[in-house]
Amino acid sequence: MAEYILEVKDLKTRYVTRFRENVYAVDGVSFKLKEGETLGIAGESGCGKSTLAMSLMGYYFPPLHYTSGSIIIDGRDITGEDPEVLRRTVLGTEIAYIPQAAMNALNPTRKIIKYINDVLVAHNIRLSRTELREMAEERMRLVNLPVEVLDRYPVELSGGMKQRTVIAISSLLSPKILIADEPSSALDVSSQKLVIKMLLDLIDKGLVKSMIFITHELPLLYNVTKKIAVMYAGQFVEMGPAHESVFEPLHPYAKGLMGSIIVPSEGIRDEHLVAVPGTPPNLKSPPQHCRFAARCKFRQPLCDSVVVPERFSSDGRLFRCLLPEAVLRELKYEDQIKSKQEDAEVELDVNIIPFAEDNGDGDSGKESGG
Amino acid sequence: MKGYTRYFRNRILWYLLTFAVALVLNFVLPRLMPGNPVASIAAGVTESLTDSKAAAEMMEEYTRAFGLDKSLPEQFLVFIGNLLKGDLGVSFRRYPTPVVQILKESVPWTIALQLPAILTGWMLGNLLGAVAAYRRGVFDRAIFPAFLFVGAFPSFGLAIILLFVFGIMLRVLPTSGGYGFDLIPGFNLQFIASAVRHYQLPFWSIVLNTIGGQAIGMRSMSIYELNADYVKYSRFLGIRDRRIVGYVFRNAMLPQVTGLALSLGTMVGGALVAETIFSYPGIGSTILSSIKAQDYPMISGATLFITVGVLLANLVIEILYGFIDPRIKANQQE
Ligand SMILES: Nc1ncnc2c1ncn2[C@@H]1O[C@H](COP(=O)(O)OP(=O)(O)OP(=O)(O)O)[C@@H](O)[C@H]1O
Ligand code: SF4
Ligand SMILES: [Mg+2]
Repeated sequence: MAEYILEVKDLKTRYVTRFRENVYAVDGVSFKLKEGETLGIAGESGCGKSTLAMSLMGYYFPPLHYTSGSIIIDGRDITGEDPEVLRRTVLGTEIAYIPQAAMNALNPTRKIIKYINDVLVAHNIRLSRTELREMAEERMRLVNLPVEVLDRYPVELSGGMKQRTVIAISSLLSPKILIADEPSSALDVSSQKLVIKMLLDLIDKGLVKSMIFITHELPLLYNVTKKIAVMYAGQFVEMGPAHESVFEPLHPYAKGLMGSIIVPSEGIRDEHLVAVPGTPPNLKSPPQHCRFAARCKFRQPLCDSVVVPERFSSDGRLFRCLLPEAVLRELKYEDQIKSKQEDAEVELDVNIIPFAEDNGDGDSGKESGG
Repeated sequence: MKGYTRYFRNRILWYLLTFAVALVLNFVLPRLMPGNPVASIAAGVTESLTDSKAAAEMMEEYTRAFGLDKSLPEQFLVFIGNLLKGDLGVSFRRYPTPVVQILKESVPWTIALQLPAILTGWMLGNLLGAVAAYRRGVFDRAIFPAFLFVGAFPSFGLAIILLFVFGIMLRVLPTSGGYGFDLIPGFNLQFIASAVRHYQLPFWSIVLNTIGGQAIGMRSMSIYELNADYVKYSRFLGIRDRRIVGYVFRNAMLPQVTGLALSLGTMVGGALVAETIFSYPGIGSTILSSIKAQDYPMISGATLFITVGVLLANLVIEILYGFIDPRIKANQQE
């Protein structure tokens, strides 16, 4: 058993559109998860959360393409493995995915039990009729579904039932890592909580070793996962223990984002994470300098001219900002940075990384091509 | 299941209503044609009669025999009354042969031609559409548009082209009839060989005409299905691509069954036209000659037969469809 169940190093993936344009939706994401740990990923719509989830599977098909970086599951580097081997030995067994629109994820014309059998057969597991039914019924009970569901078609199930069926199917082969992409966004608050609890139960029961939750509704998540990462324009801009990330965020974007949930109470659900004015950069040509600069209240002249690396605070939290840790710890989103010393700029304590040499094709130094 | 039964009760009522309307139209429309059928039929007989009084009497007798002396509503009641007894009246043109008798001669030809041709065209069209969507490349850019082009021809145009190329230019296939005119229908090798050769042109003209229209629907359905969420999810579960293509094909194919039901009427119409071009001894040719002779009972009888055939086929498809596609079944239950 490796130290980390999942290790992601500088993962970069992109969409190639019909017009051969690249969309750099995941652009340098790194993190590590230990067995039993859960990670929550938050960020506004379009920042690349779902793309990251799909990229972590290591199995790419158009329009999504792998660019660079590595994904190591329990010591095994799955990047660059043969797709057929991946399909059989990784998908569903090492890492599994609950898609964002779980309601539409099932083939409408296939009975649930047959679909379950398809998943098993795809991994060379051939069960007799009674064995299959026994195991399927057990999984249905695990997600509180009546066993009759097995003989239904997805169109005959309610939204919540489909959701739970998808959870049961995604966890069917006891994957080490389960990624749930907004597992609850289409449900009401109480059902959302139920779904999250059901997912956490999978870890307790030992079916799943580690889990990644994706959401843009942090209020539901911050007391559920151990770690929380905030994603912005294809990168993590903040990552640390859940409580700190939510209540004492370091990155200016995270500060703005968390502003809306800083008074955590019931009925807060209406406040979505859109408190930060402005729009994110176009991921077809994201800026080389700080990606958040255009919307940042605390922006400094240098912010527009250097690459911002991932930085780590004294206690190991990640933040992708040029401002010194000490300054960020003190700053509130409501503050004005220049209020104490008029006209004085904050001294930035970062090693300046110049931009990559522009090779004149207007591609902002990105690797390009298919 | 209760909703399901109610759904079908409603559908059947709907079919009955359609049938009733069609029945009236089938009766009335031929009789609105200008001209007098008795005049043309009697013309042959009365020619030899020099006595104009005798000729007039003859005309009157025919008119009475055909029931044309009564008013249109009265004629309709007689028509319905006979219909209930399974009698479609007597043909004017081939007086006194009953219409039912003539139908019995021509219907087997039509069914033997159209059923296989339409089904073949439908299946080939679906296959082409699915392959064009999945494989892209030459299928999508050359073969598919070519069939679309051919399918857009009016059916008589296509039939005439085939007839010209294979029958007249290349002289490889006979241009008219259902079998060699010197043969007597029967179960002998010579007759069957001749029938098969005569079958080719009308058959392929119907098939070619059907493929394009079916392929276009199937192609867009397949593209839609290929982008469906369940395809992506199935891939991430590690299900083999071949199996996923199977899901997509089935799901795209099912609505095509309704497509078949919807276009069946048009297809049969086109196929009837093809029959007349190739003088095939089916119901299409019968209708054509009846129209020329203003043979009302024959026209009404033949069109009635087609109406019932198409409606029944529709109903059967619809019932079958509810059973094979759970998505529709769920809708029908609502
Ligand atoms: N198939 C695609 N082709 C090209 N670009 C895409 C495609 N799918 C997504 N994108 C782009 O990639 C970026 C990231 O999309 P993604 O779906 O990962 O966002 P997200 O964070 O999951 O958003 P949401 O919260 O709305 O689900 C977006 O800018 C989006 O426009
Ligand atoms: S680097 Fe500069 S612009 Fe970017 S978040 Fe930090 S302060 Fe704001
Ligand atoms: Mg998403």
